[in-house]
Amino acid sequence: MDRPAAMQPSAAARVAGLALVSVGAAVILVMHWMAAFWVPTEASMGVVQRIFYIHAPAAWTTFLAFGISAAASAAYLWLRDERADAAAAAAAEGGLVFGAVMLTSGPLWARIAWGTYWEWEPRLTLTLLLWFTYLGYFLVRGSVTDRRKGRRLAAVVAVAGSLNIPLIHVSVNWFRSLHPGAVVIKPDGPTLHPDMQTTVLTSVAGFTCLFLGLLCFRYRAGLAAETRQAAAVGDEAEQ
Amino acid sequence: MNGLRATWLFAAKDLRTELRSGGRLVAMGAFVVLAAFLFAVSLDRTQVPGRSAAAGLLWLVVLFATTTGAGRAFDAEEEDGAFRHVLASPAPRGAVFAGKTAANWVLAAIVAVLAFFAVTAFLGVRSTGPLAWHGAVLLPGTIGLAAVGTFFGRVSSHSGLGDALLPVLSFPLLAPMVFFGSTASARVLLGRPWSEIAGPARLLWAFALGSLAAGAVLFRHATDE
Repeated sequence: MDRPAAMQPSAAARVAGLALVSVGAAVILVMHWMAAFWVPTEASMGVVQRIFYIHAPAAWTTFLAFGISAAASAAYLWLRDERADAAAAAAAEGGLVFGAVMLTSGPLWARIAWGTYWEWEPRLTLTLLLWFTYLGYFLVRGSVTDRRKGRRLAAVVAVAGSLNIPLIHVSVNWFRSLHPGAVVIKPDGPTLHPDMQTTVLTSVAGFTCLFLGLLCFRYRAGLAAETRQAAAVGDEAEQ
Repeated sequence: MNGLRATWLFAAKDLRTELRSGGRLVAMGAFVVLAAFLFAVSLDRTQVPGRSAAAGLLWLVVLFATTTGAGRAFDAEEEDGAFRHVLASPAPRGAVFAGKTAANWVLAAIVAVLAFFAVTAFLGVRSTGPLAWHGAVLLPGTIGLAAVGTFFGRVSSHSGLGDALLPVLSFPLLAPMVFFGSTASARVLLGRPWSEIAGPARLLWAFALGSLAAGAVLFRHATDE
């Protein structure tokens, strides 16, 4: 059975995925060298501050991933295009993975900086809740027998859950928060040491490339699985 | 069909059905009293004074009862296939959502009143602060709980995981509401001035109206058959 042209997993996605993952992995390796040997040690927190070069880029990638997932889910609800759904699911998977990195690296830093692994402060709490929302996204996807309905309901969950993202962003300013505020992207310019800024921006670039590469691979795999499923259903119908 | 009129008709139909059977309200009421009792029994009140814990427990009891009840809002109509006819009616989907939410809100409000008296009685809270202020805090809170519970009740009703899925979907979005609600209720219980309560109460209204608007827009996608 011929696959619809629009649903053909694209070779370009594979090439782009390979290139982005390679670049991302190489940049992250360089960033590790910079964080270990090149960047100066922060005066007040000491060596534990170096977790920042993993934690902050992981947080950026998590929000990027969940943002892409929500936008692609909204596009799927509007256009009912399976490619948008595949992109949403791939991005949500990436968000869960990088979110797990963020949610484990943060407490490791907090144990030294705050004296406790977890503090019930708004940004941490809301981020954990956002992570659970996208866990719910996959639970809905996997637990509805009708696959199309499952995808549609999961998209609804992704869009509804994304309403949390702006709240997380403003939570540091709205509430008294222990979480450090922005040090790079600020209206009055960055307040970070230039070498630290270079290291964290290198890390952000590496994490972003790695995520986008994995997104391409998962998007392609998701579309391939969908077309296989459609072909199997078509074959059953013909028999 | 006019949206407001459709909302009223759906809400009235659900409430009539509930009054005839009474099952959901009785179950929610019994749950509230028992949960308040168990919370009170499990707290060591020599370490934690009842008045300090009452607001948090009140909101938890209302949260659990409302979401569980709202999750059942579609069950009867799903079982006999009546919901297909509801969807086939010319009423806008947003009005169906608003009507279901309104009916759930009435149950949530009754449950919240019951929970308030049960929690304060079992925890031995003598001075509760002005009741009208508690009402002003619980009103937007129960609207938000009913809206989110109704919306995700519809989503989880399609899932093989059923009721186990509803808390996973709804609690992350309801957590800020419970936080602001319990903060405001605690301040009322402690006899603080309204100026200290108005901030969280306004945020509760923002969440409640935001949940209603988002639910009304997205409900169409959760009901496409």
